[in-house]
Parts: sequence; structure tokens; C-alpha cells
Amino acid sequence: MENIQEYIESGILEQYALGELSPAEQAAVEAMAARHPAVGEELAQVQQALGIYAEAHAITPPAGLRERVLGNVMTQIAAPATTATPNSSLRADVDAVAQGPRATAAQPTPGEAVVRPFTPAAEAPAPARSMWAMAASVALLLSLGVNALLYSRWKDASSELVALQSEQARFATTTQVVQRQLGELKQENQVLRSDEFKAVALAGTKTAPSAHARVLFNPATHKVFVDVRSLPALPAGKQYQLWALDKGKPIDAGVLTAATATGQGLQSMKDIASAQTFAMTVEPEGGSVNPTLSTMTVVGNI
Amino acid sequence: MSDTSIISLPPAAEAELVRRLQARDESAMTLFYDRYSAALYGVIFRIVKAEDEAEDVLQEALVKIWHAFASYDPSKGRLFTWVLNICRNLSIDKIRSRQHRVGSRTQGLDDSLTAQRQAAPTEFRPEHIGLQEITKQLVPEQRQIIDLLYFEGFTQSEVAEELNIPLGTVKTRARTAIKVLSKLIR
Repeated sequence: MENIQEYIESGILEQYALGELSPAEQAAVEAMAARHPAVGEELAQVQQALGIYAEAHAITPPAGLRERVLGNVMTQIAAPATTATPNSSLRADVDAVAQGPRATAAQPTPGEAVVRPFTPAAEAPAPARSMWAMAASVALLLSLGVNALLYSRWKDASSELVALQSEQARFATTTQVVQRQLGELKQENQVLRSDEFKAVALAGTKTAPSAHARVLFNPATHKVFVDVRSLPALPAGKQYQLWALDKGKPIDAGVLTAATATGQGLQSMKDIASAQTFAMTVEPEGGSVNPTLSTMTVVGNI
Repeated sequence: MSDTSIISLPPAAEAELVRRLQARDESAMTLFYDRYSAALYGVIFRIVKAEDEAEDVLQEALVKIWHAFASYDPSKGRLFTWVLNICRNLSIDKIRSRQHRVGSRTQGLDDSLTAQRQAAPTEFRPEHIGLQEITKQLVPEQRQIIDLLYFEGFTQSEVAEELNIPLGTVKTRARTAIKVLSKLIR
């Protein structure tokens, strides 16, 4: 028993299944498998595992291949196989019945399609047996039909399940997006409704008289939001930057995103401890440390 | 029924096909084709890596299967195992003779990866053990070894040389991978 296990673990069965062995080695493995059921079983498992691997890589052949290949195979096997049948088959009796008409039918020009009369291979066995056989065949046919039906329903159901699952995943994503947007809106709403926030109107300067924006400033929590109504379009590489002026000293309150600058909603800016005036300037992308006063677009006092 | 898994094919259906082929029933070849061609073509294509050559090999294999059928012994293993071996051997012979001509022994890994990518399953098959499942079960090193052994026709020693790892490690990984695969049978 010991050395059987050792034999199995030596990896020779895998080599056999992968076709690495010489004919003599193959014969030795087959003999071992025949003598020891454990070896035979293990070998069958190895072969089956490779079968699974092979089948997992199945590819439906390209269109048209079936007709070409089957057609060629049929012409190749049809003519010569009948004349030279070195048939060691156990069913010599069946062959004897089948071969007679086959040989005569195959005589016309080889390569041409051969029409062969249907030969009832096993004619008239005992009537009782044939009744049973017929009943069994009918039962088998019925069962095959039912199987095919059930199989196709199962497949349909599975496909539908996959479709539903992907649908569900899409819904989940949509819901997430909606939820996030809802959260943003709620926050904006809170800011807009809060009494603690002071609304500071920023009016356009000489450079942009029609510009118009609002800052919402909460002196208690130091929160600052900006709400753009209308600002001139920016040249490439520039961004609006909000400044708080506290006793004349400019403090950076952060840059406006492109969405905010086009008036899509509130944007939360940097916290500002104290300010009397807010203003916006045009700065290089990312903002500046000190405001470029010549580009001041809007300004407003609290 | 062509998309029914061969692995889960009931033994009775296989025995019936074998009986008809042994009885030299040519119409059984059509049935055989419909049941086995996708699996066989998949293996052949992954070895030869060209559609026209795969078609030639598949045709050659079918003719060989028909003529050599008397040598198939059901007591020694399943029909699928036997026909797979015929297809693999013909395919490997094909690439060996080609590689002889070109003179390079191994250019395969990248190609086989593209082949794997091309072969996304076109149809959902509930009972079919798919590539995804196999990728989930096998660690990449195991899969690489099985691919080299199965689709590139390497021997275990050649794999050891190619990957520059000890032969013992190749054997262990191959055995473990095959164990994992055989557990996938339902």
C-alpha cells in the first residue's frame, strides 16, 4: 500500500495523462492502473481534471467551419472505409448486415455523394422484446424531450438572472449618485436657510460691471460658502480666487472650481475667522498667495 | 444539445455514441462533431494559435478518430480523454514541425495569453465550468504550469528549464493544480 501511494505521488500519472511517456512507460502505467484500483482511480481523476481544463477553453468554431470540416471528413471516411474495413468490431453480425448494401452502393464514382438505402440492422427480433424495446424507446424519447425543455428553461432562467443582476447593479450605482447629490443639496439648503449665515452681495467692479456673486459667511462657525450668479468666462489656465479682507489685510479663502464659477451651486470655501469685505480676483490655476488687485472682478462689504 | 458539458455527459449517452462509432455508423460523426467540436477546437486553437491551421488539425483529427476507433478501449478511459489526446498530439506535432522550420523553440507565452483573451465565452452556460471559475481556483503559477504543459506541449523538465525553477516544484505545482481541477467536477 505504501509504495502505491508513493507511485501515485511520483507524478508519473500526470506525465502519462499529458502524453510525456514513451510507449513502454505508458504500458507500465496502464498495467499498474489495471492491477491497483487506487492507481486506476487516481489516473481517471487526473484525466478528468485535464478534460475539465480543456473544456473550460472551449471555443465555438467560426461560422462555416462545421459544414466544411464535416463535409471533408465524410468524403474522406465514406469511400475507402467500406472497401477496406479491417473491422475488429465485436458487432460482426451488425456489420455483416450493414456492409452488403454499403459495398454495392459505394461503387459509383467515388467522391460523389453516396445515397445509401436504409438498412434495418436488426430485423424482427422476438415480438415481445420489440414491444418492450419500443415502449422503452418511447419513454426515452419523452424523457429526452422533457430534459431538453427543462434544460432550455434552466438556461433561460439563468440568463435572465444574470441580466437582472446587472440591472440591479446599475440601479445601485444610480442610487448612490442620487444619494450623493441629495446630500449636497441638503447641505446647501441648510446653509441657505440658516439665520447664522450672513449673505454678502459681491458686485462687479469696473473690469466686469455685470459680474455678480454672493458669499455666505457664518461668523460663529467661520464657515464660508460662495454662490456665483454671473462671472465673466476665464482665459485658459486661470481660476477665480476668493479673498477675505480683515482690517484691510487679504486672507486666502480658496479657489473656485469651474462648476462653481459657472454658477452650478454653492461651494464650501476655507474657514475665515473674521472679515469685513470679500472679493474675487483672477489668478493662475491653483491660486496665488497674494491677490492680483488689477484683476479684481467682484467685491462686497458685510 | 451541443453546449451540454462533456464532463457531465451521462455515461449512457457516451456509451451509445461509442457503440455507433464502433458499428461504423458514419452519421454518428455528425453527432460526435456537435458534441465535441467546441472543446476540441478550443484546445487545438490554443496550441496552434491560427484559425486556418486549427481547422486543418480538427479535420485531420476527426478522420483519424474515425479510422483508429477500433483502438479505443472504453475500459481504459473516457472517450473525451482519448479524442483530446489525439487532438493534442496532432496539434503539438504541427507546432513542433513549424518551430523546426522557424528554428525557435519557445515564443509562446504572450501568444497564448492573447488566445485566452480572445476566447471570452460567447454564450452563458450554466453547467459549464468556465475559465473564470478556473482562474478563481488556480493560483497564477499553477495555471502557468498547466498551460505550458497542456497547451505548449512542454515536458515537465522543459517547464522547469523555461521558468528556471526546480523540477520537483514543477511536479508539485502540476499535481496540486490537477487536484484543484478535479475537485471542480460537480
